[in-house]
Amino acid sequence: MSYDAGPGVIELADVTKVFRSGEVSVEALRGVSFAVEAKEFVAIMGPSGSGKTTLLGILGCLDRPTSGSYRLVGQEMSTLDETKRARIRGQRIGFVFQAYNLIPRTTAYKNVELPLVYAGVPGGERRGRVLQALASVGLAERVGHLPNQLSGGEQQRVGIARALVVEPSVILADEPTGNLDSASAEEVLSILGRLNEEGATIVMVTHSSEVAEHASRIVRFADGLVVADERTQRSIVAEPLGAVG
Amino acid sequence: MTTLLEHSRIALSSLRANWFRAALTALGVVIGVASLVAVTAVSAGAQKEVADSIRRLGGNIVNVDGEFITIGTRQSASDRTITPEDVAAISQLPTVTAVSPHQSIESITVAAGRNQANTWLEGVTSAYSDVQNQQAARGRLITDADVSFGRSVMVVGLDAQDRLFPGQSAIGKTVRVGSREFEVVGVQARRGSLADENLDNRIFIPLPILTRVMLGGSNIVHVDLRVESEGDIEPTIGAIEDLLREQHKLPESYPDDFSAEDQATIVKEAQRATSTFRVLTFSLGGIALLVGGIGIMNMMLVSVHERFREIGIRKSVGATPWKVQMQFLIEALFLSVLGGAAGVLAGLGATRLISTFAGWETLVSGLSLVLAFSVSFAVGIFFGYYPARRAARLDPIAALRYE
Ligand SMILES: Nc1ncnc2c1ncn2[C@@H]1O[C@H](COP(=O)(O)OP(=O)(O)OP(=O)(O)O)[C@@H](O)[C@H]1O
Ligand SMILES: [Mg+2]
Repeated sequence: MSYDAGPGVIELADVTKVFRSGEVSVEALRGVSFAVEAKEFVAIMGPSGSGKTTLLGILGCLDRPTSGSYRLVGQEMSTLDETKRARIRGQRIGFVFQAYNLIPRTTAYKNVELPLVYAGVPGGERRGRVLQALASVGLAERVGHLPNQLSGGEQQRVGIARALVVEPSVILADEPTGNLDSASAEEVLSILGRLNEEGATIVMVTHSSEVAEHASRIVRFADGLVVADERTQRSIVAEPLGAVG
Repeated sequence: MTTLLEHSRIALSSLRANWFRAALTALGVVIGVASLVAVTAVSAGAQKEVADSIRRLGGNIVNVDGEFITIGTRQSASDRTITPEDVAAISQLPTVTAVSPHQSIESITVAAGRNQANTWLEGVTSAYSDVQNQQAARGRLITDADVSFGRSVMVVGLDAQDRLFPGQSAIGKTVRVGSREFEVVGVQARRGSLADENLDNRIFIPLPILTRVMLGGSNIVHVDLRVESEGDIEPTIGAIEDLLREQHKLPESYPDDFSAEDQATIVKEAQRATSTFRVLTFSLGGIALLVGGIGIMNMMLVSVHERFREIGIRKSVGATPWKVQMQFLIEALFLSVLGGAAGVLAGLGATRLISTFAGWETLVSGLSLVLAFSVSFAVGIFFGYYPARRAARLDPIAALRYE
């Protein structure tokens, strides 16, 4: 599988996000700048309410920053309209959610196929890609299963297959192991680790430093700001990596 | 195109998941479309009947009625105002080719042996058959000789015959009208009905017997006449109006004591009564469609609400607002179009029932089916648009968070 990305996949410059509901406004992000290079595996950590999910929403073009600039593979995202952002989501981004977010009453196959359908990939080409993606997360045998016929770990692996099937520039995972027992969590993390070794760029939010150890780099958040940015043991093993900005 | 097919599949599978709700929702459209189909068929049938009636009754006919004399603002039902002299003068008009004076008693009970029947008694001359397209199924019609000799002979309609002589031929038998007895000399060939008037439940006798002997006097109410061509109708009506005013010596300020009208117009007017009923049914069909549409809108809104998270997921994997809108619009379209198809079938069934049990003439045209079907399509688009738009506009973050 190839991941189409130049060196600077994500570039954030002074990004803020303010939620306003009536009188009250919450500053979820207060000037975040950092970059993610291709083939990095970044863990984002921080206390609850520090803005991690908000950041991931912006990285995934689900939301727009209140101010600041976000460039994805060199293209400015903060000014795009919803239709253009939807296309970017479909082609450049793979989401993995804590709650799996598979479409109910729809087979694993159909769930994984969905991004290809929206991206307009011709039907003949889809089949091979879907089966390959499901095989790469070890679910070749579960193709026709419905979400409620799968364990949590299996559902999350379907979620990962759905994220990687479009060969995105970056996979964004928000506490992908949050709902899983330790064995399933380990399995999911090893899949993510393997994908990263195969060249996938991954940004993962987690509360657990154990989980974060699977990443090559940890960005720490507090109160809507980046407070630390460090490499892990794994990065030393998992060379080569470009300079970290 | 792939995505259209894809969306159709998605829409179908989500409808299948809630098929009972979907069926109930589509019921309004089914009823609406069915009644549109049935009413259109009945309407077209009635129109065909009018055209048939006009053809059957003969074209280029002017009906002259002289029933009321109005003086000032008072209107009194007077005896017949058309005199034999009027009839003679009318037949002198150059455009007139045949004149049929006649007089009727619209409801009278007549008897044959033990059988009685309420019929419509018509006094006619030999011209009646020509002007009114009357033919004999058996025997003969009223002749000049019957009229001039005042013979007590009668021609009966088929339904009148059935009621007076069940299962038998009336020819040669005797019918009693009041204290007079008539010999049946002929049976009128079937004429059908005109608006609600059954033309086969009539009996015919020579005009002078009815006017002089039974009613008294020689004036009459009706004169039907045939003109050469359709273009002659208007000028002839004008000429008759002038003629009769002069004959009746009506002062300038007096209104006409007669009316002269094109028969085709009268037939159409007569049909208007039944068309009120049709307009009513048609509106009910429209209301059913409206309610059906609102039902679809309601179900789609519920469906959008239930699937907030699904919509969020779809958006997160690349569904643009337009594609989400298409998905839900197609779902609404499926509902209404399936309802429309079922409605067309139900409408055809209802039409069948109406023509069998009510005996109305019906006419189903392909165009009306296409039209009814298109209406259901339009209902789907119209009432599906808003819910689909809501789905399309959902904020993906909020939709993904939705529990
Ligand atoms: N739609 C919103 N409207 C108002 N406030 C919001 C909204 N979304 C997030 N917030 C606020 O922004 C802040 C950051 O929220 P966010 O979900 O990004 O935190 P988080 O770091 O992901 O927390 P957790 O670890 O608990 O998931 C919180 O104070 C939250 O209440
Ligand atoms: Mg969060």
